[in-house]
Amino acid sequence: MRKFGMKRAIVGAAIAALAMNASAAHAASATGTATAKILRQITLTNTSALQYATIISGATASTVAVTTAGARTCGAGLTCTGTTTAANFDVQGTSGAVVLVGGDSSVTLNGSLGGTMASTLTYSAANITLGTTGGSFQVGGTLSVGANQTAGDYTGTFNVTANYQ
Amino acid sequence: MLRFFKGFGLLSVVLLGAVTVPVQAAGDLLVAPTRVVLDGSRGTEVVLNNIGSEPATYRISLEIKRMTAAGGLDEIAEANVTPAERTALDMIAFSPRRVTLPPNQPQVIRVGVRIPEGTPPGEYRAHMLFRAVPDAAPAVAADPAKPAATGVSIALIPIYGITIPVIVRVGDLGAEATIGEAWVGDTPDGPAFNFGLTRTGNRSVYGDIEVTRPGVSEPLLVARGIAVYPEVGAREVSLRVPPELAAKLKGPVRIRYSEDREIGGGTIDEAERVVK
Repeated sequence: MRKFGMKRAIVGAAIAALAMNASAAHAASATGTATAKILRQITLTNTSALQYATIISGATASTVAVTTAGARTCGAGLTCTGTTTAANFDVQGTSGAVVLVGGDSSVTLNGSLGGTMASTLTYSAANITLGTTGGSFQVGGTLSVGANQTAGDYTGTFNVTANYQ
Repeated sequence: MLRFFKGFGLLSVVLLGAVTVPVQAAGDLLVAPTRVVLDGSRGTEVVLNNIGSEPATYRISLEIKRMTAAGGLDEIAEANVTPAERTALDMIAFSPRRVTLPPNQPQVIRVGVRIPEGTPPGEYRAHMLFRAVPDAAPAVAADPAKPAATGVSIALIPIYGITIPVIVRVGDLGAEATIGEAWVGDTPDGPAFNFGLTRTGNRSVYGDIEVTRPGVSEPLLVARGIAVYPEVGAREVSLRVPPELAAKLKGPVRIRYSEDREIGGGTIDEAERVVK
């Protein structure tokens, strides 16, 4: 196998600048032979969870809804305590870039002491246009609580993607 | 497969800058670049970085997504892909497929393409998904001290990731696009600026949208990275805008759809429209 030339090594170097969306034109103004390629990047961070908090079920089936703004609607017959939040995702990338938001529309939760529950999921936007400080989207949902739902800690996972087109 | 990747060169990655965004969850990630176009002779590299505060294991996979007339991307289960989509999945090779990264540790994913002989000309596309694998055991299960009998507590764990398109072009392809009517409408999430994009040809079109008012140099609206994929002949572009901008957009505007700045930024289509 032949040795790779230095040039090839430099071309292979991908420098992802995290700071700002530096343009290649600015990077090219230096003298000398340094070569740098600035790649466009996207970051996705999860800064809050979708929290239904604690629910005490009643004698009839009911629902608890959390809006994409995090506000709770506690259905008839249920007792809801604690602080609810919507899931929040921050997206950073090129200013003006349009990012499509995708994800599951429902999730099944399994209880630690048996039993299941289902939750629908709602997204604050189908797409977001990033500003100079990026953008964000939120996920809320409506949880269906059965009559005398088995107590316990319920967990479920759902998929969320930020998609470039 | 090893021989296949031989030509990619030395892997050297330098990451500059520091992440200042405070993060709570494991699995936060950075991906660069945001779009890959290959002509079949050379491969490329995609950088994945763990920007979370905890080590995380990421899985990299290919998915088929189809554009809808509304401009969304529908995920297609592998069992339902067309032969051309299957070809796309088969011709794109990448490595590694799973990687565990400490915080602020980048990893290069090598992407290559092998076009089988006799592949018909056309554009082949898959979407590369980068996603953290959730921790095996949910924390709540190992917490016997917590009183469980008083009610129901809920933990919903998002498995979140980023997808970027990987596009392979076979043969000499061309496409054009035309801007349709434009209007301001209401969505459940607030006002949106909408317009149609019609595509002809045998490949996708991709570029930036700039909406300007005649006589005003500062654009009213800039939206980058708008594609029309070959599976649709036309799509709607719906961009949410703040209410004050929605009001400003009404009236005569010039809409310009231009190619990516990285390949020259040439105009794909330009149109004068009166926004209703």
